Amino acid sequence: MQTAIEPQDFTGLQARRQALDAYWQQGISGYTLLRKHSDFVDHHLASNFEKSVPAGEGFALVALGGFGRKELYPFSDIDLMLLYDPAQKEKLPGLVEATLYPLWDTGLEVGHAVRTVDECMAAAAEDFFFRVAMLDARLIAGSVSLYTQLTEIYKTEYIEGRRREFLDGMLEQRIKRENQYGRHTYLLEPHIKESCGGFRDIQSMVWTAQVVFGLKDLTAMRQAGLLSLEEFKKFEKAQDYLIRIRNRLHYLSDRKNDQLFFEHQEEMAQAFGFTNEKDMLAVEHFMREVYGHMQTISVTTDLFFEHVEEVLGREDEQKMAKILEPGIEVRNNKIHLVNTELIQSKPQLFMRLFYQSARTGKPLHFRTRKTITANLYRVDANLRHSRRNAKLFLALLVAPEPFRVLEEMLDTGFLTAYIPELAKVESLAQHDVYHVFTVDRHLLQTINELQQLIEEDANTYAEVNSPHILFLAGLLHDVGKGFGQGHADRGADLARKIGERIGLKTEELDTLDFLVRNHLFLSHTAQRRDLEDEELIMRCARRVNTEEKLAMLYLLTIADARATGPTVWNDWKAALLLELYLKIALVLGRRDISGHEQARSAKLGAQWIRDKVSELLPAGDKINFTLFSDDYLLSFPPEVIVEHITNAKKLDTQDVLIFHEQSTESWSLLVMAKDRPGLLARIFGVLALHNLNVLAAKIFTWADGTAVDTIEVSSAISEVYEWQDWAAMENELHLAIKQRLGLEHRLNQKLAPLRSKPLGTQKRLAAKVTIDNQASELYSVIEVFSEDRIGILYDITKTLSDFGISIYRARIGTKADQIVDVFYVLDNDGKKIEDPAFKDELQQGLLYAVKNE
Amino acid sequence: MKKIEAIIKPFKLDDVKEALNGIGIKGMTISEVKGYGRQKGHKEIYRGAEYIVDFIPKVKLEIIVDTPQVDEVIETICQAAKTGKIGDGKIFVLPVDEVIRVRTGEKGKEAI
Repeated sequence: MQTAIEPQDFTGLQARRQALDAYWQQGISGYTLLRKHSDFVDHHLASNFEKSVPAGEGFALVALGGFGRKELYPFSDIDLMLLYDPAQKEKLPGLVEATLYPLWDTGLEVGHAVRTVDECMAAAAEDFFFRVAMLDARLIAGSVSLYTQLTEIYKTEYIEGRRREFLDGMLEQRIKRENQYGRHTYLLEPHIKESCGGFRDIQSMVWTAQVVFGLKDLTAMRQAGLLSLEEFKKFEKAQDYLIRIRNRLHYLSDRKNDQLFFEHQEEMAQAFGFTNEKDMLAVEHFMREVYGHMQTISVTTDLFFEHVEEVLGREDEQKMAKILEPGIEVRNNKIHLVNTELIQSKPQLFMRLFYQSARTGKPLHFRTRKTITANLYRVDANLRHSRRNAKLFLALLVAPEPFRVLEEMLDTGFLTAYIPELAKVESLAQHDVYHVFTVDRHLLQTINELQQLIEEDANTYAEVNSPHILFLAGLLHDVGKGFGQGHADRGADLARKIGERIGLKTEELDTLDFLVRNHLFLSHTAQRRDLEDEELIMRCARRVNTEEKLAMLYLLTIADARATGPTVWNDWKAALLLELYLKIALVLGRRDISGHEQARSAKLGAQWIRDKVSELLPAGDKINFTLFSDDYLLSFPPEVIVEHITNAKKLDTQDVLIFHEQSTESWSLLVMAKDRPGLLARIFGVLALHNLNVLAAKIFTWADGTAVDTIEVSSAISEVYEWQDWAAMENELHLAIKQRLGLEHRLNQKLAPLRSKPLGTQKRLAAKVTIDNQASELYSVIEVFSEDRIGILYDITKTLSDFGISIYRARIGTKADQIVDVFYVLDNDGKKIEDPAFKDELQQGLLYAVKNE
Repeated sequence: MKKIEAIIKPFKLDDVKEALNGIGIKGMTISEVKGYGRQKGHKEIYRGAEYIVDFIPKVKLEIIVDTPQVDEVIETICQAAKTGKIGDGKIFVLPVDEVIRVRTGEKGKEAI
């Protein structure tokens, strides 16, 4: 075995590189190398110094900063101070020449100052950084008494009684650093020194512990109970890892470089012994370690500073505690667990704490967060399967600030304990220039973006009826990463498993599965496919299937892209995605009315129905298929069309036919009559008279003028089908069609009490009417948006009829308190509504009708 | 030497790139651009909200080629980028005075 090399084995400071290489050859890395390096510099500085002033009186050579702590990286700055007694001033030039000049030849950055004790104190008064640097002061050579004099004065002037001031200075620097380098440890190219979770965080903590508690290092903090044994071990390991990285990084870059640049990462990974594996690259393994350790440092120092702030807290901050629920209270704007042992007997408190934090908007107190981390082993299968627990979790996802709460859940480790599938992506790096965040942070960032889209894209968000599923999909969409190709499909399977565990309903599971599985579908299609290809849009529409799912997928796509990195989302991509979204939305929105958009497949379907209907009709019955449009045929099953055809024969003797039946969620009406002006208005008027709300309607007119209207209704006053007076309604409908019923005055009497109904707190929706001549080849398309109220459809259709407008098809949609009605119409000459003056008049008339109260 | 600038539909990028590789074009600069020509922007109305698409997203390719190869490159791009519909794009040919490879200092044809 080789004997250890010592500093004196090298002659002069110029041998520094040689010394470092020799140490490295001997396998010395990490903290030992820093010390060896520091000892080497010490040794040569001291011998130069002693040669120049043999007695050493009146002068002291002091190391500051990192050099003071004996943490000297290969290219670290060397902070030196030459302290002198004013009486010895004339010897100064010779001494400076002897000690400092050789340092310059090493090529290192040397920070040096030549000061008396008084000058030091003057400098300290002005400069916070110098005050901090003084904490690490260390005597290399020279007068002990001069050095002690300096440190004693420093202590009495700047430490005793000025702890709060020191803390404030420290916190101010921390915030500055966060602003400059980002709040998070997960940036693509972390700065080992300045980033969150880097060396500065470690040093700030140690300095503050020194000043505030008089604890000189981590071990002392551990003994004083500031760190638990667990925390201490984890922290030390993280610190050691960062030291090795920084050492290596200086070597690799051949200069003082503390940023882990993208191009260095692969080489670093190799140096740390990682190899490429099937599912993960060496560099991804390595970066995962880096992020994990920086996360440890960041979380530990955050907790520490919150602790110190509390210890030095101002008295006026002390307020009375307020109990939120048994075991949980609010004090000084923080959520506290009243008794730390409680969580062991009542593990449901984990989620309750986060839920209360989400509900009240107040963060968890650091001690409560520590308690959560220390007791994570209590998060078991029971808790993960608990419905009650899941309800709280889903509720906090749609609370006002899910991002903040989820971040606390992730930082405490609770999130991965509750959803173990997420542990796979924790701190997981993706080695490319697009993904700025690790996967876990990206998922949280997606939640953050969704949170913002609620306001930015309120229109689209209004389509979403189950926001908790959207946010859950946001949180889980990349859960399948870390296993190689196909993360979307794998993620969907995992998400379904998670959804089942927390007790989602079947349709919720399906939506979640759909969103995760297709989260790249829209952006891929928008950028790689021809959006003018109608077949493609139809295929997309079939795949997405509902407007709500489309809206969810669209929002998720935007949030995902924005949360990936600054280069991924831009106006250009937004424009393509919006185009695709609108095209699919239009197809989905008009799915059952617009013939020409459905092209070939619809034609084939219609032919199939014709064949079927012919088969079903009694032999001998001849039927003229030219009566029926394709979209009519495609809107009903063949058996129903046969019924319509059979019924129609009775219209020779009867004005109107009404059929009603109870279906699963509403009551279905079929009204058939010879078409006449105002027919639809009369039908809707009678329905309103009988307290029936129209939920949806399909309006068709055969070519021979037979109107076939199917209307889904529900009663505004009773849920019992049998209680509805169907006979009376039928009777009045007959009267109305024969024009023997004063609908207007009856409705007015009837609705008077309802019309004075006070408006809710909800914001009023502006009514809107559009008339579009482009959407359909044959008809003008009128769209009416308005708040819903009883009788509104009567008012709209009556107005249309007053203008002599014929309604050929209609689609009635009601969503919550809003109606979206689409009418395909022609004027009384059978033409589109092209005349601008008439168009405007009609628009105003309809606006008046929907606002009419 | 000429610089060929082609504005094409985004989804045609892969086809065009592949076709150009096929005739030996090894390098190009690609950027995401927006604009309008005969294929004007348009207004979409959905659920009462107006969405105005005033500039249409396109991809711009920039390729430097030796003059004899210009026609072949233009033809290749045309073939690969064509859908036959409005908005298929445009190609511009510009003269280039000099090309210099930064690393080696090579000039002219050698540097392409």
